[in-house]
Order: sequence, then structure tokens, then C-alpha cells
Amino acid sequence: MSVTILIVDDSKLARIVAGKALTELQPDWQRVEAGSAAQGLEIVASQRIDVALIDFNMTEKDGLALAAELRALRPDMPIAIITANIQDEVIARAREVGAGFVPKPVTTESLQGFISGAALRLRSGK
Amino acid sequence: MAEAPASDESVAERLRAVLVTSGASGSWDWDIAADTLYFDEHFADLYGLTPEAGVAGVPGATFFSAIDPEDRARMKIAVAGILGGAELFSKEFRIQRPDGSVLWMHGRGQGHLDDRDRSVRFTGLLVDVTERKRTEERLRIAQSAGGVGTFEHVDGFATASVSTEFCRLLGLHPARVLPVRTINSVLLVGDKPIIPDTEQTGEPLDGEFRIIRNDDGAERWIARRGEIVRDSETSGYRFIGVIYDVTAAKQAEERLRELNETLEARVQEEIAERRQAEETLRQAQKMEAVGHLTGGIAHDFNNLLTIIIGNIDTVTRRLDSSSDPRAKRSLDNALKGAERAAALTQRLLAFSRRQALDPKRTDIARLLAGMSDLLTRSITETIAIRIHAPGDLWNVEVDPHQLENAILNLAVNARDAMADGGNLTVEAHNLVAEAGNTAAFVEAGHYVVVSVTDTGTGMTPETVAKVFDPFFTTKEVGKGTGLGLSMVYGFAKQSGGYVHIDSVPGAGTTVDLYLPRAADGEAEAAAEESVQAIELGNRDETILVVEDDDDVRTYTVEILRELGYRVIEAHDGQTALGLLTRTEQPVHLLLTDVVMPVMSGSELADRARAIRPDMEVLFTSGYTRDAIMRDGRIAPGLDLLPKPFTFASLAAKVREMLNRSVA
Amino acid sequence: MSTEPAVTLDELETDALTEIVNIGVSRAASNLRKMVGDQVLLSVPSIEVVSQRRAARLINEREITQLIAVRQDFAGPFSGRALLIFPEENSLELVRAVTGDELSPQEVQDIEHEALAETGNVILNSCLATMANMLQRSLTMTIPEVLRGDGAALFETRDETAADGLVLFLYIDFAVRKRDIRGYIAMLMDLPSLQALKALLGEFIERVVGDDG
Repeated sequence: MSVTILIVDDSKLARIVAGKALTELQPDWQRVEAGSAAQGLEIVASQRIDVALIDFNMTEKDGLALAAELRALRPDMPIAIITANIQDEVIARAREVGAGFVPKPVTTESLQGFISGAALRLRSGK
Repeated sequence: MAEAPASDESVAERLRAVLVTSGASGSWDWDIAADTLYFDEHFADLYGLTPEAGVAGVPGATFFSAIDPEDRARMKIAVAGILGGAELFSKEFRIQRPDGSVLWMHGRGQGHLDDRDRSVRFTGLLVDVTERKRTEERLRIAQSAGGVGTFEHVDGFATASVSTEFCRLLGLHPARVLPVRTINSVLLVGDKPIIPDTEQTGEPLDGEFRIIRNDDGAERWIARRGEIVRDSETSGYRFIGVIYDVTAAKQAEERLRELNETLEARVQEEIAERRQAEETLRQAQKMEAVGHLTGGIAHDFNNLLTIIIGNIDTVTRRLDSSSDPRAKRSLDNALKGAERAAALTQRLLAFSRRQALDPKRTDIARLLAGMSDLLTRSITETIAIRIHAPGDLWNVEVDPHQLENAILNLAVNARDAMADGGNLTVEAHNLVAEAGNTAAFVEAGHYVVVSVTDTGTGMTPETVAKVFDPFFTTKEVGKGTGLGLSMVYGFAKQSGGYVHIDSVPGAGTTVDLYLPRAADGEAEAAAEESVQAIELGNRDETILVVEDDDDVRTYTVEILRELGYRVIEAHDGQTALGLLTRTEQPVHLLLTDVVMPVMSGSELADRARAIRPDMEVLFTSGYTRDAIMRDGRIAPGLDLLPKPFTFASLAAKVREMLNRSVA
Repeated sequence: MSTEPAVTLDELETDALTEIVNIGVSRAASNLRKMVGDQVLLSVPSIEVVSQRRAARLINEREITQLIAVRQDFAGPFSGRALLIFPEENSLELVRAVTGDELSPQEVQDIEHEALAETGNVILNSCLATMANMLQRSLTMTIPEVLRGDGAALFETRDETAADGLVLFLYIDFAVRKRDIRGYIAMLMDLPSLQALKALLGEFIERVVGDDG
């Protein structure tokens, strides 16, 4: 069964960049993109999502808030916050909601750790 | 023959040789994660450590152990930057050698990051820059002493390296690096940049700029000199140069330029002023020269006229009533002519200011009232005359006869200017002239101003400038002597006053006579013209006549003898004194000419009085700028009989004096 | 005429701030390098206390052409504004660089605005976040905003009086070696923030230098 990964970022460019790195790491995974937190929640409600990559810096609702809501819905889903805001405090808050941290710009190398961890968890969870 | 393979040792030796020649003095490799510092033997030598420690590694903080305490904080901050993720390290700092010497080092290093951008290694080279630092220090001292600021700009960079003096010259707060824009922002609008943003293409490297100094707002001139060198690191170009303040030189230059530009105008102005002054001086000199000339001529004329009039007189008296009436008429005509000539001479003398004035305290209102009849008769009926003199006029001290003469002259000129009729006004008023508020030609003081105004043809300024010249006349030949106004001028000057003419062509002329106010006191009545019977003298009364002109002396002696006096004569002062010394008989009166060669009349009078204290002295003169004159006036107590004198005037004056002596 | 600041940084504090900015900018440059896949050159940062008006002029005078900027305001123990500025004509080239030259010209045009915002976001965020980490404080940052205009427009402030107020003006220019892209990272901090920053720099120096400073 294929894995579906949700990328939530209000930047199309960021989604392209993340998508590119992802394709290199996990060419088989299905990608679903959302341009905002609200859209992301809609998608999660309407279809099965296995992994989420969430931008921190978004209008209306930031990535940490969205991650907290998703965590409540799906306690086991691998979630990562992606941001260039690499402040220790942001990283700590991501950890608090049980999310990983991937610094922007997203590269194959920086994404690799989280993705391989997520793939492992999904396999073991089945 | 094959070369022997190089041993590890010799490789290390060669590497060290290369590093030394390239200026490197030591290298390090700091493993951040393991907190271990590795270094080569040169680094070890500098730090006083063993080469073995360099290979084995020491704690990272050893890096700071040899760094001079003064630089240590700065270096810790810089290294913290590298440990925190900065990539480039380039610092200069001092290290203390084990032997106590201090060396300046340039540490050039690189921070190595892992794929998560964390610092893992810090490697670099130490280069001894002590010599360069010393040179720089000397240069810095020289530059700040010489007011020279330096800069270095790599083409395309937004910032430039500058010296403290550079900042000071532009009034910027001291910095080692300044944005090019900050540097150029001190420029006055429109000037070319001190440091160009873009590559210099054909722009001269030397330039001068006007700036507003940032700290105090002063406007200054800054000069720039520089060179373009190829930059070894970026393969671009470096613009290296100096700036210095040239404001003082620029200002001097500017002043010089202004001076040159305005020189012509200032010279012209100066020349115009000089010309004006010269013109005034020339006019005064001309008047003086004419005065001398006319005075001299008048003197000779008076002597001649004395002879002519005297002889006509004598002949007339000797003609009895039965004689030919035509001869009598001819003699009368001759006498009239001579008298007119005498009057003319008098005017010449008045102009030359050598006329002897007989000033009296004079009431001008009364004088004008007395002239009214004369004026009315002199002026034609087509001209309305108005004479106005308020009762409160101050007295003036002038010769009343000369004043009358002057007013008459002005009135006649006014009449002649109004051939078709008009108004003539003669009026007088008091005037207080204060410094600054009156015409420049009048000195401060109290004056009575007598004005003669006509509504005639008027004069142009050019004409006004010349009217005081003797013999200048606007009248047709034969109608006037041209001496009228010059006589008025001479009279006014001699009386301590001024004449001023205000004239507009076609509108008329006003001549103002400024006469200084006299000290208060009763005005003296004008001397009554008394026609007395001629009183004769007698042989008891002896008169000594001294006159260098033989004809005049002969004439004088004849008159006096005819009158009955006993007369002795001398042709000069020395002879006269001889006579007075030799003769025992009394001499009652000394009649002497004033101007004589060798001994003057006044000197003679003084010496004669020493011998004969009771003797009266009567001076005669046609030319009285002499020792008896003070300021052109007869000294009080001196008697003067002006030449030419007549039988009657001589008889009367001699009699008056002898009578006074007896009394 | 004189802009003698009320708060001045001493030599050590200036050194410390320069280092911290260097670290932030190094991180930013490193990120830009990752995004465009090419070497990024940086100048030595210039740190000045000037009026906001003058900061605008410093940028404005340098560029004849219109500018484009990504602006991000930050708040925390010290507050201010960070700007990534480059000439407008560099904009599409930058978008092409960060999108990996895979898009058609039309696609590049379509994505321009959004791509610039994201690029600015990555660069400014990493720079500010690094500085915050070095000073051991946290900052909140606004969503990046893309502005077009001249220097005055980029530095405009809602508060009229602030234009005359003194600001700490950090200025680093960068160039992408193989592409015709150059620009600046600028940072403005007002005076109350400067005072707070001075205190934080003091702490930083204390930590790094220790007792033997």
C-alpha cells in the first residue's frame, strides 16, 4: 500500500522544492499539497494521509498550531515542521507537539533523516 | 640515475620552507566537536609549545594562551563567531613569545560546516605582520600629522576600508569600514563621488571635491590622489588612495581670483576718485594762480591810477573858472575813466582776496533796506523786486561796502538773466548748520544766508562750475567784465563764509551767500559818507613820505605840500630811518607804502615808532597782502589809505590823524 | 547635522555584533547557496547608527533603478526590520535560479512574487534566527512581504516621526558569482531596541570572553 504525504506551505516554491527532495528520497510516495492550514485540515478530513510536512511561517494559522491539531487527530502520524526559522525555541516547540524539524531550504540531505524515520515507523506500525 | 624518494622529513621541511617564504608562520586545525587543537611546529614555536603537543592535540582554548591580553577578548568573540557558524576568519592580533617579545599576527581561517550547518572544524594560518604593523603605525602617525586620510575600495563592493583620519576629514565617526554611500553623502550636490560606485572609466584619479563635513556642517574642499591596482583575490580592481583638506589653499585661490576680477573695477573707481580730487585741487590752484596774477596786476594798476588821478586832480584844481570849459570837461572825463579803472582794479583785488576789508558788525536787514532804492533804480521795470529780511536776523561781521557791492553784482546778473522780465527776490534768513545735515561745503556753525533769486534763463551745471572764474562771462562782449561773481566768491571766502549757486536751465538761479554770525553786540552804523571841507595843514606839522615808486612819491609829496604841510621824503625804509635819526625836528606823521623792497612798510613803522613813539603812521597800499594784514583784514588800530587815493581822500585822512594825535 | 547617537556601542560590542551578524549572514548565504546551487559572495558587514531617512537615502542613492525588497519585521527583546533588497531587473533571474531553471518564462513570471517572498523568508529568517540563538533570546517574525519602489518606499514607516529617529543600520551586500544577481541584506533597529541589544551583547561577551577578557 502506497504512502501519502501532505505538504502544507503557503509558498508554491517551497512546495516544489520539498517535492523535489521527496521525489528523490521516496519516488513511490503520493504527494498532496495544501496552501494553508485550513486547506490542510480539509484534506486530512477527506482522505487518508500518512505523513505531514508543515511550514511554520504561515498566515492565519502557523505550522505549530496546525501540527498540534493534527497530532490530536492522529497521535501516531509522523509530522515535521519545515522552516528557516531555526531558533532554538522553535525547534523546542516542534518537539513539544511531537513533530520533527527540517530546516529550510529543504534539501535531500536535510529531509533524509525525517523521511527515513517516518518510513520506518509506517512499516512497523502496519 | 634515479632520484632518491623524498623522506617524510624532507617533505615537511620543504613545506615549511614554502610556508616561510610565503610569509606563513604557523598553521592550526581545531576540531570543534572534540575540542582539540592541532598545530604545526611553527605555531608551537610561536606559542612556546612542543611540536609533539601539536601532533597529539591540546584543548581548544590553548588557541588563546599566547594571545596578548589586550587582544584576547576581541579574538574570543571572533572565534565564537566561527564556532557559531560563521565561515571566514581574518583578524590581526598580538601574541606574546616565550622570550617576552611581542609579534603581530594575521590569522586567516575558515570555519567548516557539516550538512546541518554546524561548525565542526576551524583551520587557519598565522602570518607574522609585525614589520608591516610597524610601518603602518609610522604611516598612521605621518598621516594623522599630515592630515592625510587613506581609503581602499574594491571595485563593486558597497564598502571601503578607511583610516581614522579619513573619517575625521569628512566629519564621520571613526570606522574602519564605511559604506561607499556614506562617504559620498558628504559631497555637495552635483559633485563627482569621492569613491566611484562603478569602475572608473577614464575618470582622473586625482580630484577635488566640495563637501559638507558631517559633524560640524562646515563646507570644505577635499583633494583625492589615488592609484588603481589589480586585486589579487578577486581579479577585480582596487582603488587605493588618500584624501586631504585643501580648503585653505582653495580659499586663497578664490580670494586671489576675486581680487583679479574686481581689480579693474576697483582701479577705475580709485582713478575716478583721484580725478575728482585732482579736479578740485586744480580748480583751487587755478583760482590761486589767477588770484596772484590779478593781485599783482592790480597793484601796478593802482600805482598808475594814483599818478593819473593825482595829476588830473592837480590840473583840475589849477584851472581857474575862466579856462576853456572843454578842457575842464575832458579832464572830468579822464578822471571818470580813471575812477572806473580804479573800481575795476578794486574788484580784481576782491576776487584775489587781497582787497583790504574793513569788517564791521553789520545788521543785514538794515543794509538791505538801505539798498532797496539803489536796487530799484538798477533794475528795469519789467522785473518785480521783493526784498525780505526778518527783524530777528543775527549780526554778521563783514565789510558792509563790499557786501553791498556783492549783492548789487548778484542783482545785476539776475537782471541780465531776465531779459523778458521776471521776479527778483533778495532775502535773508538765519541758518544753523549742523554737522551731517547741511550741504557738505558748509562747516557747522551759525550763518546768515543772503539769497538772490531770479526766474531767468538759469545755467547748466557746466556753466555753474565755471562762473567763479575771473573773466568768465555769459554776457556778450562789452556788456560785463566777468569779474562780478568772482568778486562775490572772493568776498565770501575772505569773510569766512561761502557762496553756493543753485541753478536750473530755464527755471532760474539762486545764489546763496553764507555769512558767519558775529558775536552779539550793537551793529555799528555804516560810516557816513561825509563830504567835508578840505582842511589845510601848516608848516609846523611835518610829514615823512616813504614810497619806492618815484612818481607816486612825487605826487603824494606835492599834494601834502600844497595842503601846507612840511614834507620830507625817502625812497626806502633805510633812508627814512636815517632821516628820523639825524633830524632833531619833530615828525608828526609817517606816510608809508606797505610793499617796498628790502624793508616793508610795517617793519619801518615798528622801527620808526621805536625812535619816535608819538608819531602817527598811515599806510598806503594798492596791494595789501602784507605784514599789516591779519587774515586779510587790517589789524585794529592801523590806518590804511587804499591806493589810488585822491587829493581829497589824502587830505582828509592826514588831517583826521593829526587832529587825533593832538587831541 | 551631527548624528551623535544617544546609545553607542563600544569597540568590543561592535566586534561582537559584527560577529553575530557575520554568523547570521553566513547562514543566510549558505542557504542562498543551497537554493541557487551557486557560490554567494558577501561583503564585510557595515554597522552604522543613522537616521531612518538617511538609511533610505543610503540605499536609494546607490540604485538608479527601481528596487524590489522582501521585508520581514521582527519583535522580541529587540525589534526592527530586516530587508533583502535587489534591483528589480535582477528579480526574474533570481526566481529562475531558485527554481532550478526548470520553469518556462511564463511560469517564472507567474511564480515571481511568491518565489521572491519565499527566498526572502529563507534568507532573512535564517539570519535573524541565528542571531537570536547566539544571543540566547527568541524573536517573533512576521510573514515576508514583497515591496517594489525606491529606497524611500522600502524604508517607509507608518510613524511619521520615526523617519527622523535614529536606527542601527546593518548592511551587507551579496552577489551570486555565476549569475547577474546582487543585492543587500539590511537591518534596522530603533533606539530602544538598540539599548536592549547592547545589554544582550554584554551578556554574549561575558559568556564568550569570560573572566580573562
